[in-house]
Amino acid sequence: MAKEEKDLSHPRIGVFVCHCGINIGAYVDVPDVVEYAKQLPNVVHAEHNLFTCSEEGISAIKRGIKEYNLNRVIVSSCTPRTHEPLFRAACEEAGLNKYLFEFVNIRDQCSWVHMQEPEKATEKAKDLIRMGVAKARLLEPLEEIEMQVTPSALVIGGGIVGMEAALNLAGQGFDVDIVEKEPELGGNLRNVHKLFPVNQEAIKLIKPLVEQIKSNPRIKTHLSARVKQVTGFIGNFDITVDEKGKENELSVGTIIVAVGAQPLKPTGQYGYGKLANVLTQLELEERMKKGESLGQNVVMINCVGARVPERTYCSRICCTTAIKNASLIKESNPKAKVWILHRDLMTYGADFENYYRKAMELGVRFVRYSLEKPPEVVGDKKVEKIKVYHELWRKEIELPCDMLVLTTPLIPGEDNKDISKMLKVSLDEFGFFLEAHLKLRPVEFAMDGIYICGSARWPTDVTEGISQAYAVASKAAGPLRTGYVKAEAINAFVNEDQCSGCGVCEVLCPFKAIEMQPKGDKRVSHVNEAVCKGCGTCGAACPSGAISMHHFTDEQILAQVEALFS
Amino acid sequence: MSNGENGSKSVLVVGGGIAGMQASLDLANMGFKVYLVEKSPSIGGRMAQLDKTFPTNDCAMCILAPKMIESNSHANIELLTYSEVEKVSGGIGKFKVKVKKKASFIDWSKCTGCNECAKVCPVELNSEFNENMGKRKAIYIPFPQAIPNKYTIDKRGYPPCRFACPAGVNAQGYVALISQGKFKEALEVVRRTMPFAGVLGRVCTHPCELDCERGKFDESISIRALKRFVADYEMKAGREKLKPIKKTKKEKVAVVGSGPAGLACAYDLIKEGYAVTVFEALAEAGGLLRYGIPEYRLPKDVVDNDISYIQELGVEIKTNSPVKDFGEVFNQGYSAIFVGTGAQASQKMGIPGEESKGVIHALDFLRMVNSGVEMKLGSGVAVIGGGNAAIDAARASLRLGAKEVTVVYRRSQAEMPAIKTEIEEAEQEGIKFHFLAAPVKILSKNGQLSALECIKMELGEPDASGRRRPVPVKGSEFTMDVDNSIIAIGQSVDKAMLPKDIGYTGWGTLEVDPITLQTNLDGVFAGGDVVSGPADVVVAVAAGKEAAISIDRYLRGVSLTEERKITPKKVENVSKEGVQPAARSAMPMLKTGERKGSFAEVEQGFDEKTAIEEAKRCLNCGVCSDCRECEKVCEAKAIDYEMEDKYLELSVGAIIVASGLGLYDISSLTEYGYGKIKNVITAIEFERLTAASGPTMGTLKRPSDGKIPENIAFIQCVGSRDFRHKSYCSSVCCMHSTKEAMLAYEHHPGTKSTIFYMDMRAVGKRFQEYITRAKKEYNVTYIRGRPGRIEVNPENDNPVIWYEETTSGEVKSFEAELVVLAQAMVPQITQDLAKILGIELDENGFVKIPEKMVQPLDTTKPGIFACGYVHSPRDIPDSVTQASGAAGRAAEAISGGN
Repeated sequence: MAKEEKDLSHPRIGVFVCHCGINIGAYVDVPDVVEYAKQLPNVVHAEHNLFTCSEEGISAIKRGIKEYNLNRVIVSSCTPRTHEPLFRAACEEAGLNKYLFEFVNIRDQCSWVHMQEPEKATEKAKDLIRMGVAKARLLEPLEEIEMQVTPSALVIGGGIVGMEAALNLAGQGFDVDIVEKEPELGGNLRNVHKLFPVNQEAIKLIKPLVEQIKSNPRIKTHLSARVKQVTGFIGNFDITVDEKGKENELSVGTIIVAVGAQPLKPTGQYGYGKLANVLTQLELEERMKKGESLGQNVVMINCVGARVPERTYCSRICCTTAIKNASLIKESNPKAKVWILHRDLMTYGADFENYYRKAMELGVRFVRYSLEKPPEVVGDKKVEKIKVYHELWRKEIELPCDMLVLTTPLIPGEDNKDISKMLKVSLDEFGFFLEAHLKLRPVEFAMDGIYICGSARWPTDVTEGISQAYAVASKAAGPLRTGYVKAEAINAFVNEDQCSGCGVCEVLCPFKAIEMQPKGDKRVSHVNEAVCKGCGTCGAACPSGAISMHHFTDEQILAQVEALFS
Repeated sequence: MSNGENGSKSVLVVGGGIAGMQASLDLANMGFKVYLVEKSPSIGGRMAQLDKTFPTNDCAMCILAPKMIESNSHANIELLTYSEVEKVSGGIGKFKVKVKKKASFIDWSKCTGCNECAKVCPVELNSEFNENMGKRKAIYIPFPQAIPNKYTIDKRGYPPCRFACPAGVNAQGYVALISQGKFKEALEVVRRTMPFAGVLGRVCTHPCELDCERGKFDESISIRALKRFVADYEMKAGREKLKPIKKTKKEKVAVVGSGPAGLACAYDLIKEGYAVTVFEALAEAGGLLRYGIPEYRLPKDVVDNDISYIQELGVEIKTNSPVKDFGEVFNQGYSAIFVGTGAQASQKMGIPGEESKGVIHALDFLRMVNSGVEMKLGSGVAVIGGGNAAIDAARASLRLGAKEVTVVYRRSQAEMPAIKTEIEEAEQEGIKFHFLAAPVKILSKNGQLSALECIKMELGEPDASGRRRPVPVKGSEFTMDVDNSIIAIGQSVDKAMLPKDIGYTGWGTLEVDPITLQTNLDGVFAGGDVVSGPADVVVAVAAGKEAAISIDRYLRGVSLTEERKITPKKVENVSKEGVQPAARSAMPMLKTGERKGSFAEVEQGFDEKTAIEEAKRCLNCGVCSDCRECEKVCEAKAIDYEMEDKYLELSVGAIIVASGLGLYDISSLTEYGYGKIKNVITAIEFERLTAASGPTMGTLKRPSDGKIPENIAFIQCVGSRDFRHKSYCSSVCCMHSTKEAMLAYEHHPGTKSTIFYMDMRAVGKRFQEYITRAKKEYNVTYIRGRPGRIEVNPENDNPVIWYEETTSGEVKSFEAELVVLAQAMVPQITQDLAKILGIELDENGFVKIPEKMVQPLDTTKPGIFACGYVHSPRDIPDSVTQASGAAGRAAEAISGGN
């Protein structure tokens, strides 16, 4: 590209300061900051924009690059986490290498934290811009490496969600490997009786899917198998699978995590494990499947082990599960009495609310209890009665009980920790997998090329789970379809003359991107640029100062520090 | 435009909210071509309206804007904003889609989004984006971060005023400019259509005011007086002499008669670049305007100003130049002739004694009065007739010294054709009216009128005009002693003034083609009273304009009729929501005592302040007023008022419906008083009040007094989980109310919030913890109970909530400074759109999903998928997930999978 032949030797810096409406503008004196920026060395243009991220702001950047022949651009606004790609793209479209762009965050670091002291916020904004300018002078153009993608995917977990994801990808024409730890496909649904809110038998949903998987030539299933090792990066993952004690090697472009979750066993609560007639919902369903007698009086207690101080979250699907089983009991035995003792009833949306209403019509009784006054079990060998303070009647009532069913939450799978380590992805504070962004990137990991779906991320019902399966399939198909991915250009580079060959970097690298390689008579550190994420751990640890980070060189950082104290 | 063979690799996404964008981006990243159709001018959808999002309290716009920009800049996505799907045919893998790209009246390839146009736009209306709490202009972008950052003109059609005007004068346009104090520009708007601002600002019968929508609310806008105001403003300020318009056409046109029809015709033709000469028989130009209407109603200097404007543009007026021979005119080098000679012959009554001295016909009388001929009248004057000429004659008589003036009219007051206000004025001036009477004989002494013999009348069946026919009452004759009688019973065309070979109708008027106004003679056109008989000035102006169109076509040699009458679309159903009553400004009048013996103008005109106030009452029915100020400031020359809707034909393999959510109309929940109690607002309104880009720039002010509320109540399930309204749970309200309570605290630390709820449905990741945080750190209290009604504390406008606390069973009241209602949400898809797409909706109006357990995103039509709120009630992460899922399904479907 001829446009890139810009003369970079003499920095010509443009500074664009954003008001962000009032987010910045109400606290930082933006015009004053602009005037200040204009005086800084090498700054040939500075302006302010109401919203630099608006189309108007973006064209201002492009216009600025052309009119003032800028070869470095600074946007002083919000956070690179959300907006850096946008401004980089603007630079690129105007013919400037995108790494000649520098971000200065005066929203999070000035206006937000210094709302009560606007003058100081303004001064700090000037400091930060001065530092940004100092760094920008030294910025260099970088190129991203384009890498081929292996056009196949790995799905970890062969439950309904994993199967649907695999089928979708296969339907799109990609080869898929499913790794399932159990000897058969189907996951938790194999144990479930019927599915809310349509009361269809779970097995009837699973069976045809398993058949489709088996007959699909693009899908290879590994049963009683576990992923043992994962190396590589988006587009080129190398996977070791332990399948019934035998190791297989797979090469895939993208990975989908669909390992599901498991129901909590409420040992010790309400006599569970001690009294004979106390079951979990899943255990109840096993009995229902077998057609066993359930007694005339069934009491269900919701939020057992959920929404309590030791496990604060709501597991989303349990209220509807209880309603489902209560309704099924009433349908098969209208004379039975079924009570659901609940706290808030989480029948969100149209279908579940309707399902709840139908249960009431069937005669399921709903009793609201509070966390402060939980139900009490009466009985020695078995539960005989349940005493509960009825919150709406405002008195304690006694319910006869032939069977007590505890509604428990889904909890993170036992393997989550291992899997997260292997894939270098994070778990959240509950032990579920942590998505890249809760709001807008719910099925992606921060790590490129790996995606998350189903109850492994958060308790999910069947329809939501299938939707998520399609979602990860569409994400995972992206790189497979385009056939290439670009690696981050901000990565580590080694000055081999300075490298002492100690190997600290190799040990510390969280992405396994560094390998010691022989060079002449010594071993030197070698960075696999495709894998390196530019985290900087190696550079900080290198005792010889041999490792630097592109875009964050010592020279650049020191220039910033000097500018701060100048 | 057609995308030809690539249809199978393309997907149509309907709806540009977060779900639609996400689906588009995923498909685009997979290499598919995406057409993203959004009906509003910008993508962004509902999420763009939000301040923050739960449970991370991320700024909604901050996380949305990058998606919007990516959607716009992605090479595989073609954004079709301000567009709607019109027709879908075919099926999976090969859909044909017709998309209407609505006219934005701005060439988006040129628009730079500089905002100069909006600065000058005089029309302000409620901003939909700010939930009607802020304002936007008729030329607008919905919000600062809108994508594409291109302006749109909101044109709803012809406002009723302009539609009603025979000449099509753009009343809304000049009224809008007056409201902004742009008087000169307003006058330009009047003159864009016709030259008689001063004249018609005084004597127009203003059909515009009769149809004015404001009149349906309280009183119509005083449109005529406003037009007069801008004309007077120019006369007072003075006008620089105009430069003649350059003649771009070689033909010359002759206009015979310098009344309103002739001059209007001349005006339009000179603007088209023709040389125009007006031939006037009398000594001065103006016709009826000068010689028919008395000065107290239409001062001569006003007529002069309007006419000199026409002359300065280059129209030549030859006075004292009657035309009797059209052949001679053609011989002089004129290529076409317009005849606008009026109806100047007074009709005779045909009763004995009509020739007596002291009897005069109204037009002759008025012509003399207006020519400055000194007239002497006796003390008693009877004016016969009920039209404007009669009233003019009567009021002029009074000014000439008559002691007692009586108007004798054969029908009753209700049937009088004269302008109503003129009649009222006449009455105030002391003119008497004798209704249901008609002269049968004029009695004279020595040839001099002495009395009228009249007969009483009664009203019979309606006649052809719809008015009840007067019938004489036998034997009811009586006499009136009078000194003068002015006959004003009608006017007709004076055939003696016109060439013999021209054709007439049975009514004695010129016969013309009703559309082209062509006479029987080649190249000769006619209009105004000479064709219509006596009619309003504005009707004559309209005829002159119509004739100008014909003459131009005739001279250019194109068909006179083809594509001629394009009836503009009239605006219907003008919203009057939130309009505050305001009386029509009264016209200052000359005191009645000062009117006798003087022809000083009676109506004195508005001052600037009154004019602006009056203009501000306008409802701007057409939204864009077509004032064309934006065109003047648009440096990019992007404005195109003639733009029409365009239609695109697309071939796509799959369709994704992501049309999002609407808000349930909760005005029927009268117990909560929304719309009546000022400090009861909806959750989305709350978002706009805390958002930085909102109407208050992010300060939470309550509506009644702008105070920052420190004690806020939130009511959940307003219209949701309620059989009378929506039986379903809207899914997101528990969380957004919690978020808003937190925002209130963040904006104003210490703020106390109370949330009234049924069940706190916090089922998503970190939702329970969010609620815990709200309680612990943000002073939020949750009370279980569904409030029954809201009253107002009259002392401080605080809403008072009455509710039963279910945990105690007590009925309690709770006074808050602001109440926020969690309004139910509804799927935003019409049955019409569903029908176009060929999909079914469920009983709640959501897209019907026939196999929820197997294919939860597949609609009833193969190849069409749904996601987001239109699929089912859900929050943003679920919508985003579904969107990606729908993209995955679409990709699978068009890759050959099922």
